[in-house]
Amino acid sequence: MKIELYDHATGEQITRDMTAEELAANNEMLAENKARLKAEADKAKAKQVLLDRLGITADEAALLLG
Amino acid sequence: MGANAQTSVPLYVAAEVLTAADMNISAGTGVPVFATTVTRDAAFGGAGEKVLAEGQLAYIEASDVVQYYNGTAWVTLPSGLNLIAKTSFTTTATWTLDNIFSATYDNYRIDIVWTQLTSTASYSGFQMRVGGVAATAGNYQYAMAETGSAGVTGRYSTTATYIPVVESTSADIAYTGATFTIFKPFTAQATSFAGQFVGVNSGVRGTACQGFHTLATSYDGIQIANGSTASGTVYVYGLAKA
Repeated sequence: MKIELYDHATGEQITRDMTAEELAANNEMLAENKARLKAEADKAKAKQVLLDRLGITADEAALLLG
Repeated sequence: MGANAQTSVPLYVAAEVLTAADMNISAGTGVPVFATTVTRDAAFGGAGEKVLAEGQLAYIEASDVVQYYNGTAWVTLPSGLNLIAKTSFTTTATWTLDNIFSATYDNYRIDIVWTQLTSTASYSGFQMRVGGVAATAGNYQYAMAETGSAGVTGRYSTTATYIPVVESTSADIAYTGATFTIFKPFTAQATSFAGQFVGVNSGVRGTACQGFHTLATSYDGIQIANGSTASGTVYVYGLAKA
């Protein structure tokens, strides 16, 4: 995995491999976001299953709960 | 004192003789208008023309700017929003920008336009940097409202290790951008920020995010972590203090 560094003081821009520490932080962010997006998708799917079972739309459900 | 510097502002009285010297003070110190920088340069120093000197102003029609001559070159008047750096990054996961914050400005605006993201890891976040090192500890706090096809959802953290910026898919990259303001990053106090981001992930996904980094540290840069390979351009502007 690559990191690209720009230094405004010198105008230099270089690309290098991530250090082990940088790679670990990157992978942690990746895992966290994947887990969050999966939870979001699972929740939306479960919601639709419930709506289908009740035979109502999301708008009708919102009316009931409002 | 330069040749254009005035020592008085004259007031004329009835019946006073108006000399060429008097006229040169009033007419010669106005702001002349030129079609281009070429006609501007040709208008000074010739026979019957004013000698170009420090303090001279000019308006250029071709570029719609007001310029001043500093004694050696023409300089465009600064605006409230001053571009400090415009840097493009190509197919790299993390982008860093060092030495972009200084005492010259208090507050900064950052614009990011992505031209390529990896669809399987289509989210980015930013962190503060100083001395070439990122602040990666859990000292970021944010409150974020995300609007998408599933409605509005909130995200909140007081122990984050970065600030989420945007989510998108590579197929819809033309729609992906972020703009946020960072308040006093170079001052040794907590750094706050406010931003708006747009992307496409199961439809339009817009976010409004506010928060801060709690450490009283002076930072000189930021880094944008994309998780996976990404390309794009980062614009850094300084907001004029006065």
